[in-house]
Amino acid sequence: MVHSDHHPQNPLTRREASGVIARRAGGLFVASKTLIGGAALVGTGYWLANHTPRSRRDIPPGRTVIDYWEKWTGPEGVAIQLIVDQFNQSQERIWVRRTAVSEIDTKAMVAIGGGDPPDVCGVFSYNIPQYAQAGAVIPLSDFSHQNALYPRGLSTTQSMSPDHYAPAVAKLLSSHGKLIAGVSSIYSLALYYNKEMFRAAGLDPQSPPRTIEELDEYAERLTIKNQNGTIVQAGFLPNLPAWWPYSWPLLFGAKLYDPSTNAAGFDSDQTIRAYQWVRSCARRFGMSATSAFATANDRNYHSAQDPFISGKVAMIAQGPWLANFIGLYNPNLEYAAAPLPVAADLLDPQAPIGMLEADVLVIPRGCRNPQAAYEFIAFTQRQEVQEQLAREHTKSSPLAVCSPAFFAGHRNPYVQVHDAITRSTRVSVLPQTTVWKSYAHLTAGVFDSAWKGSDDVAATCKNVNVRVQAMMDRDSSLQMRRNRVQ
Amino acid sequence: MYNNRRNILTGLVWISPWIIGFMVFLCVPIGMSIYYSLTDYGLMDAPIFIGIDNYRELASDQLFVKSAFNTALFAAISVFMSLVVSLGLAILLEQHLKGASLVRSLIFIPTLVPVVANCIIWLWLLNPSAGVVAAIGSAIGSPSLNPLGDAQLAMPTLALISVWVVGSPLLVCTAALKDVPGTLYEAAAMDGMGPLRRCIHVTLPMITPALGFNAIMSIIWSIQVIAPPMIMTRGGPENSTLTFSMYIYKTAFEFGRMGYASALAWIQILITMLIAIGVLSLARRVIFYRGAN
Amino acid sequence: MDPISVPKALRVGGITQWCLYVILILAAGFFAMPLVWMISIAAKPADQVMASNGLLPTFESPLWSPEYFKALAQQVSSNLDEVWNSPLADFPTYLRNTLIVAFLSVCGMTLSSAIVAYGFSRLEWKGRDTVFLLVLLTLMVPQAVVMMPQYMLFKSVGLIGTLIPLWLPSWFAGGFSIFLLRQFFLTLPRELDESARMDGCTQWGIFWRIILPLSKPALIVVVLMQSVTVWNDFLGPLLFLNKEEQYTLSLGLQMYQSQHGGTPWNLVMMASCLVVVPVLVLYLWTRRYFHGAEIGSGTKDG
Repeated sequence: MVHSDHHPQNPLTRREASGVIARRAGGLFVASKTLIGGAALVGTGYWLANHTPRSRRDIPPGRTVIDYWEKWTGPEGVAIQLIVDQFNQSQERIWVRRTAVSEIDTKAMVAIGGGDPPDVCGVFSYNIPQYAQAGAVIPLSDFSHQNALYPRGLSTTQSMSPDHYAPAVAKLLSSHGKLIAGVSSIYSLALYYNKEMFRAAGLDPQSPPRTIEELDEYAERLTIKNQNGTIVQAGFLPNLPAWWPYSWPLLFGAKLYDPSTNAAGFDSDQTIRAYQWVRSCARRFGMSATSAFATANDRNYHSAQDPFISGKVAMIAQGPWLANFIGLYNPNLEYAAAPLPVAADLLDPQAPIGMLEADVLVIPRGCRNPQAAYEFIAFTQRQEVQEQLAREHTKSSPLAVCSPAFFAGHRNPYVQVHDAITRSTRVSVLPQTTVWKSYAHLTAGVFDSAWKGSDDVAATCKNVNVRVQAMMDRDSSLQMRRNRVQ
Repeated sequence: MYNNRRNILTGLVWISPWIIGFMVFLCVPIGMSIYYSLTDYGLMDAPIFIGIDNYRELASDQLFVKSAFNTALFAAISVFMSLVVSLGLAILLEQHLKGASLVRSLIFIPTLVPVVANCIIWLWLLNPSAGVVAAIGSAIGSPSLNPLGDAQLAMPTLALISVWVVGSPLLVCTAALKDVPGTLYEAAAMDGMGPLRRCIHVTLPMITPALGFNAIMSIIWSIQVIAPPMIMTRGGPENSTLTFSMYIYKTAFEFGRMGYASALAWIQILITMLIAIGVLSLARRVIFYRGAN
Repeated sequence: MDPISVPKALRVGGITQWCLYVILILAAGFFAMPLVWMISIAAKPADQVMASNGLLPTFESPLWSPEYFKALAQQVSSNLDEVWNSPLADFPTYLRNTLIVAFLSVCGMTLSSAIVAYGFSRLEWKGRDTVFLLVLLTLMVPQAVVMMPQYMLFKSVGLIGTLIPLWLPSWFAGGFSIFLLRQFFLTLPRELDESARMDGCTQWGIFWRIILPLSKPALIVVVLMQSVTVWNDFLGPLLFLNKEEQYTLSLGLQMYQSQHGGTPWNLVMMASCLVVVPVLVLYLWTRRYFHGAEIGSGTKDG
């Protein structure tokens, strides 16, 4: 509806007027778009410039900040954070910033290789030979104390000594006689068994099996199957859990690695017997039944549906932390722990057999504040700190001296079993060879093939031994070349 | 002559950014990679020359064969599905149906989503206890359906998921379809050809260059695929989803053997080139170039 | 194929049309489903993440009532807050890092690719097309071959652990963008160059003042493609970044996943939504350039 009459005061027609308004509105629209866009850009720029990452906030000024990568999350992470907090509050020069990192040994290697490593890194004991050989970490023995935060009993000019630790632990932490890393926690495996099930099967809950033969006998009596052949209650199955496929040869007296000759011992008679025994377990209880049982429980460990905690398994080879989870999910479970059964001719109650593994703390080469990192590690190695951490992680203490109060009220009433293994004369440590990861991977293959009923266990073991030996030889020859070159 | 040289100089100056990048980020690394493949090179040590030992080790490496097989399986399923689905959808979307442009956007959006988000969404969908596939599984009576946990099913599942990102091949097919002159269709219709025969005898031959392009890009991508297996299954179960690129990455950064990993990478380049050459020469015989006689 | 001019002989019949519609809807469903689920899970409280719950979260109020929407809004904002402030993952920092890298990378790629594409299209020089073929061949190089030496290269100048390796290579142009822009430049008439030269314009002047302004559609496509590439880049950050405070969004998304099961799926999905939204917005904004222009095949539809 266009009116073309001209209003006397308004020189524009309505149409013209609406055109002007539209243009002005259009202009206004564009202008406001630009204004909003500009404001957004400025705001974003301001935010970008002033944003501090969360990990940098709340750090008191004037402190040297060091980065600590640790693998633990959940309650174990909380436990180590307590210690970090204690260190941060006990002095005013250094601030430790802990980050939880997954797949830490890979990430550590990449970071060290890339020249951008953290100051303290919590890795595994099996990383030490490789790191030491490559010079990727600064050995703890290279540092000396220059302040008051050293472990008690050491003077300011001394370095930390291997005598501070139990002998087996010292071995784990050293390479070629030098102390490379500090320890954060250790563990070994023991036989955890359900006392109620023992009684139900007519067995004495006070006398767990001590030899492999007894173990087999007990397992027979404790295994219950239903009509379909499905396992309802498992007595003892080596594939639950299958995290330590290399631990069985030890129970038969085998040595997986001889450092003096750099020889892998995987084809020894004891090793072959061990995996033949594994195969016999699978055969006795049914290969498919046991595999199905293991797969069904694959994701349930350390939860309320854990096969041992929920009463589906009578005996299991596990670490000391199990007690913690039992307390959480099934505190009424009647259980006990004993050293793992060994071959009959090896039985010696004074010297239990077990394998020690550890989580360690290293100082990567090329980090920004090695001395501050050393001070923090020295703090964590103090007796009271180690015992606090071990109690929180439900593990035993790695130090040479252990205070009696450590065991009182420990979450694991059977932690002494693990402690005895640590201090036993027959304890072994994880083989300290640079190719351990591949070695362990291959043992998993041997375990699997034994479980699936392979006919010639001896041939498989010999095969693996040849491959591992080849890897070790190659590695040492390359290392010799490197040493000559440098 | 002088003009010519001057022109070349000007041209090179204009493309100098690319030349510098090409040298620094491509040529030098490729050269270094050849050198590394002849060394033993840990992440934290200096490289030691060992000649062709890495390649000799390759020949007997079972994991290498397995990863090559896995990648081939993935490539076969993924390329085939991608070609078929992108072509089918392109033809479908050209049929003047209402809502075609909305669907076109819907199909393209997954290519914009970060790979990690993609993988997380599909991880959830395939989760045996919570996901949609689990719900379908319990409906059809196999309650513990876990495709990603099964050594036989995991890789095909990953390959089928890759169909979700057909957005780019779809674009190429669509462009090619639009280029087909309408007169050809009319002539064919007048000759009495029904829609299906028109599709086979007119459409397909005319868009073979686009199909060839899609095929090559798809093959190259699937030989290099690394993110989905890395994020969703980490190479498991039992190494059935360990693709070639993932094996190279693992060897370099998890086992710390850059030398051996470089040798593996070179084998990957060789295989890619051979396949590309193979596809191109096959294409030359099959592809119909309009106007070329 | 202009719908109006489709001859009767080529129109598809009734039943076939119905079948096509069914297939279309199925296809739409298949491609939309994962995203729909993602949004659905992002709006749920932690205990309702199971698929059997259906697409919509259940609250105490009945469905579709005003209280329901209020509860829904509250849940969404609470999830958003948890994602933004989660102790597991420093989302704001990841966003910041990604924005920095994206901005620098997109600027660098667009500018350098435009310059290089100009050199390949508007200038005549001997060997031009051979070198261009080389550019195309570089698209075929697998990432795995160059990733280790590039890592070593950046390490030797101490750039590992910074954001620089993520955006620096873009400042030297990339094959795909060069290809796109060159195709577009080739379609611009030569007379522009000539008349500009007659007016006394230098080569750079022609590029900057005439060709570039005319290339807005193509440049927008390059910006979009490069933004998407950088935003979604996973392998680059994985290789070159070590510390959490340097992580970008695609790496950071993984931080929500828990080691011991019990991944907070609703938070993960909410985080994924947040990561997807900016790219989606960019895409929807530039959609017409993208689908209309069909730069890749050189057609002039638009």
